[in-house]
Amino acid sequence: MKETSNIESPGNDASFGVGRSAFDVRRFVWRILDFIIAAIFIYAGVLKAFDPVQLAHDIDHYKILPWTIGVGLAFYLPWLEIFCGLALVFRLFYRGALSILSALVVVFLVATIAAKARGLDITCGCFGHASQNWSFPAHLALDLGILAALCALCFCSVARARAGTSPTPTS
Amino acid sequence: MKFLLARQALILAALSLLPGVGQAIYFRDKISWRSPIPPSEMVSVDQARQWADSAIWIDARPDNEFAGDHVPGAISLNEDRWNELLPQFLAAWSPGKKVVVYCSAQSCDLAREVAERLRKEAQLPDVFVLEGGWEAWLKKNR
Repeated sequence: MKETSNIESPGNDASFGVGRSAFDVRRFVWRILDFIIAAIFIYAGVLKAFDPVQLAHDIDHYKILPWTIGVGLAFYLPWLEIFCGLALVFRLFYRGALSILSALVVVFLVATIAAKARGLDITCGCFGHASQNWSFPAHLALDLGILAALCALCFCSVARARAGTSPTPTS
Repeated sequence: MKFLLARQALILAALSLLPGVGQAIYFRDKISWRSPIPPSEMVSVDQARQWADSAIWIDARPDNEFAGDHVPGAISLNEDRWNELLPQFLAAWSPGKKVVVYCSAQSCDLAREVAERLRKEAQLPDVFVLEGGWEAWLKKNR
């Protein structure tokens, strides 16, 4: 199987100029979305990497994991977010990064809903102290938005790969 | 494609381990892997008893548990009735006295939370959490 190609052919129809232009705009929009998602995760990762002690306490507030595992995650997760964000920017290990970030957001969503259902007063710690006073609906809205964007990027990536391997690539 | 995706994810996961381990080594004195409370903020039952009159004992458990039994001389101060109980505690406290906070067991969070509030809100120095909590105190005093 061919590796994912990021270069798509605009096709060779009569309206080449128009097709090429539409192709560029679409590609540009997807790239912007890449950068936005990457920026969110790099920013969140850097904030948390500066204060892993606070993050360990934030993870502990969910009352899901033993303290020791929470500490391990507090040291690990910020860097995973940073590396995945950088992978989106540089399009290296692109799909691997998308799948990790999607899984992280899903796990976080489930944990947040479970904590809320158990009546726990949690601070997510997603963006360090900046997110301390966010409401539960605000957390959910942000996470669902990010998840939707990640899913869109995944589908786009798969569609591009298919188009790249197709004998008559389309724009 | 699935193999490629798994390989990419694995490489990213492995790469993230390196700075994570480095940071864990750098922060080894600032966080305990065994308990949410740093070792410098904990005190054992034996050590706390040696402080004798120079320490005030705080029971962070709910009222009904405090009423059931508690460390002799301990003052009840829990988060449920914080505003009501804090002035009573502050009246008993004097500068230079150490504060020992306990809850039911090692795994409970109440003592840590009360100790944190005493440090931040009441600006008290020398606030310690009893290692093992009420259970440990009972074991040593049976």
